[in-house]
Amino acid sequence: MELAVELRAIVKTYPETGLRANDSVDLQLRKQEILCLAGENGAGKTTLMKVLYGLEHADSGTISIGGKVRRIASPVDANRLGIGMVHQHFMLVDEFTVAQNVVLGSEPRMWAFAYDSRKAERLVDSVIQKHRFSIRADAVVGSLTVGQKQQVEIVKMLFRKVDILILDEPTAVLTEQETETLFVTLRALAEGGTSIILITHKLQEIMAVSDRVAIMRQGSMLGEFDTKAVSEREISRLMMGQSVSLNVIKKPYTKDKRPVVEFDSVSVVKRNQQRPMLDNLTFTAYSGEILGFAGVGGNGMGVLEAVLGGFLPVSSGSIRHNGTEITKSDTFGVRRNGLAYIPADRLKVGSALEATVAENIIVASRKKFSRYGFLEKRDMEQHAKALMQTFSIQGESKVPIGTLSGGNIQKVILAREIEQFRDYIVCCEPTWGLDIASSKFVYERILALRDQGAAVLLISSNLDEIRALSDRIAVMYRGSISALLSSEDAQRATKEELGAYMLGISVQEELHG
Amino acid sequence: MGSRSLQREFSRPTVLRSAIGPLIIAALALGALVILALLLSETPGRTLRYFFLGPVQNTYYAGNMINTAIPLIFGGLGISLAMRAGSFNLGGEGQLYGGAFVTTISAIALGSWGLAGAVLSLIFGALTGGVLAGFSGFLRKQWNTNELISSFLLSNVVVLLVSYLIAGPFQDPETNLIATRRIAESFRLMRILEPSNLSSAVYFALLAVVLVHLYLYRMKSGYELRMVGLNPMFARYGGIRVSWYRIWSMFLSGALYGLGGGFAIFGTYYASVREFSTGMGWNGLAVALIARFQPVAVIPAALFFAYIESGARSAMLHSDVTFEIASIVQAVVFFLVTSSLLQRLGTKRRSV
Repeated sequence: MELAVELRAIVKTYPETGLRANDSVDLQLRKQEILCLAGENGAGKTTLMKVLYGLEHADSGTISIGGKVRRIASPVDANRLGIGMVHQHFMLVDEFTVAQNVVLGSEPRMWAFAYDSRKAERLVDSVIQKHRFSIRADAVVGSLTVGQKQQVEIVKMLFRKVDILILDEPTAVLTEQETETLFVTLRALAEGGTSIILITHKLQEIMAVSDRVAIMRQGSMLGEFDTKAVSEREISRLMMGQSVSLNVIKKPYTKDKRPVVEFDSVSVVKRNQQRPMLDNLTFTAYSGEILGFAGVGGNGMGVLEAVLGGFLPVSSGSIRHNGTEITKSDTFGVRRNGLAYIPADRLKVGSALEATVAENIIVASRKKFSRYGFLEKRDMEQHAKALMQTFSIQGESKVPIGTLSGGNIQKVILAREIEQFRDYIVCCEPTWGLDIASSKFVYERILALRDQGAAVLLISSNLDEIRALSDRIAVMYRGSISALLSSEDAQRATKEELGAYMLGISVQEELHG
Repeated sequence: MGSRSLQREFSRPTVLRSAIGPLIIAALALGALVILALLLSETPGRTLRYFFLGPVQNTYYAGNMINTAIPLIFGGLGISLAMRAGSFNLGGEGQLYGGAFVTTISAIALGSWGLAGAVLSLIFGALTGGVLAGFSGFLRKQWNTNELISSFLLSNVVVLLVSYLIAGPFQDPETNLIATRRIAESFRLMRILEPSNLSSAVYFALLAVVLVHLYLYRMKSGYELRMVGLNPMFARYGGIRVSWYRIWSMFLSGALYGLGGGFAIFGTYYASVREFSTGMGWNGLAVALIARFQPVAVIPAALFFAYIESGARSAMLHSDVTFEIASIVQAVVFFLVTSSLLQRLGTKRRSV
C-alpha cells in the first residue's frame, strides 16, 4: 500500500511548560484513505497535526510525503506539498464572498494586477459543482451557517489542489445532518484521490467514516487499527487508559442537603449555528456535595462554565441560586451573589499576569480592602502574605503574578476563591498542568469546602479526578447530560463506563439522581 | 506569555528598566538634531549652542519652556489614564481646544462671580473635553466602535466648529486677532518667573500629576480601571463593570485635556485665539508614550518635549535654522517611541 504521509519518531516538547506533547510518535497515512486520529483532550493529536502542517516544529523525527523526506517549516511549505488543514475555528473573512475567501492569496488576475472577480467566481463555482457542495460562490460568508462555512474551508483546500487533507474536530459544531453531509463529501474526496486525516474523539464518527483509526494517549501513539477489526469498547478503553487511584481520603456522603444551584432546561443557541451549545440542561447542585461534570471537549463543558460564570447569556430556561432567579445575571451579578469560581483558563481569565499577586488576590473582595474609595494597601499586602502562607505559595506578594510558576498561580486563584466563597464554588479543570503534590493540595481544599457544606460544581476532563472527588457525576454529551450517576453508582463507576457515556456509546436509560 | 520570558522581563529593577528606553530615545533624537544642524546650518556650532543652552540661558526662556510643558502635562496624563484602561484617546486636539473655548466663554459670562466663576469655568471646560471623549467610550460600549477612530474623527469636527465659533459669533470686534474677548483680569493666574509667560498654572499641573497617580495606584476605582486595562476578561471575571470603565476612562482622559485647555487660557492666553492649541493634543500623546503611561514620568517627558520646542525657537532667533527643526526632532522622538511601543505590543500579541 502506497503511503501519502509517514511520520517517524516525532518528538515535540513545549518549552514554556516542559510538557512533552508528542513522545516519539509514528503515523502512517495511506493514499486515498480516511484515517481518524483519536484520543482524549491533551493526548497530542492537534500538536502532531500542527507539526505536519508546519505550524509547530518538531524537536526531532522525520516527515515523509509521498515517500520523500521533507522539511515543513511553515504552512506555505505544507500547501506546496499538497497538505491542507481545516481548523476547528474557521479562518474566513465574514465580509467577503465565498469566492473571495477561497481565492484569497492566489487570486486570478486581470491585466496582471486587477482582481478578476468574475473569473474567481467561475473557478470556485466549478469546484463547488464538481463536489456537489450546497453553497453559492457569490454568497457572503457571514450569512452562512456553520456547516456551510466549513464547506467553504474545504472548497478552499480543494481549490489549492490539496491531496492530503487534515480536519481538526470538524464535527464539533455541526448538527447530525451536517455531519452526515460532511462524511459523504469526505468519502467522495477519498475516492477521488485525496488522503484524509480526521482528528476526532467521537466514536460513532470513527466507526462511520474511517478506514483506519490511530489512537493517542498522553503524547504517545498506541497504535493504528483497521476500523473494521476493533470495537467501540476497545477504542474507548485505549483512549481512556487504565483507572488510576488518586488516594484521596473522602468523608462519607451525608444525606442532609438543600438545593443551592438549580438549572432548569437551560439552552444556549448561537446565531447561525443550528446545533445548540447547551441543550435543555437540567440539574441541581446540593449543599455538601461535589457534583462532577465529565465530558469530552466540545460537548458543552466549556459552555456550562461560561454560563455559570455569567459570561454567556442563556437562550432559554432558568437558573436559580438558593431559590432566587439568576438567569439574567452577568458576571457582575453572579459575583455579588456569592459565586466563587476557579476558571479553566487561569492565565487569560483567572489572573492579570502583569498585576501584582496582592492585586490579583483582592479582585473579587476589593470592597473589603477599601475605605472612602481608597485601597488599604497595608491590609492588602498583609492579607496576601497571610493567604500565601496558608496555601504555601512561594513568592512575594508585590511581584507580578506572571513571575510565579503555573502551580503557584493556580494556588493563588484557589486561595482567592475560597476566601470569596459563600455557598457554592465552580471549579474548572482545577489541576490541569499541575504536578502531583499541587494537585493533591487542591483536592484536599476542595474536599474541605464540601465538608463545610459547599455546593461544589467540578467541571473536569480528568476522569480520575472526577471519580476520586465527585459525590455524583453528570456526564455531558452533545450539550446535554447523557448520564447522571447517583452517589452509589458514582463510587462504583469505572473509567470505562464513564468513557462509554462520554463518547455516546451508552446512554443512561432513565436519568436519576 | 511563557513564565520564563516574564521572569526575564521583570527580573531587572523596574525603575532602571523604564528609564533606559526613554533615555536612549532622547539621545537618538538629539543625535538626529546634531546631524540636521550640520547639514542645514551655515554655523552649526552656533545653532547647536543656542538649541541646547538657549532654553536655560535665563529665567525668561526657562519660564517659557516650563509654560510650554503645562498643557503637555495635562495631555500626557489624559492619554496615560486612557491607556491604563486599555482605551485609546486620539481626540486630544479637539478636547483641549473645545475645553479652552468653553472655559473662555464661561469665564466671560461669569465675570462677576469671582473665584466661584473661575472654578466653574474650568469645570465646564473639563466637562466639555470629558463628554467629547466619553462619547467615544460610549460608542465603544454600545456598538463596539473603535474609540481610537471615533475620538479622532470627532475631534476634527470639534476643531472646525470651535474655529468657526471663534471667528464668527464669539469674535471680539475690538481686536485684529481672530479671537474671543479676553477674560477678566481677576480670572488670570498669577505670573511667576517674570518676565516669562510662566504662571501658577504649573502648580495645578503638578497637582494633577499627584492626583492622577493617587487615583490610579491608591484608589479602588483606579485599581479597577487598571485591571480592565491589564486583562478585561480578568476584570469582568472579578465582577468589575468593564463596559462602564470604557466610558469612564475616556471621560477622565478628555476632562484632563479640557482642563489643560482651560489652564492655558487662565495662565497664558486669556482669550481663545483661533487654532492657538494646534499640536498640543498630539504632543500630549507623544509625552505619554515617552512616559510609558506613568503619571509621574509625564513631568520629565513633557519638559523634554518643551525643551526641544524652546531650543528650536532660540536657535531660530539666534541662528539660521527655521522652527521646523523642532518638528523634525519631535517627529523622530514620536517615531522611535511608537516603534518601541509597537514592538512591545507585537511580542505580547504573538505569545497569546
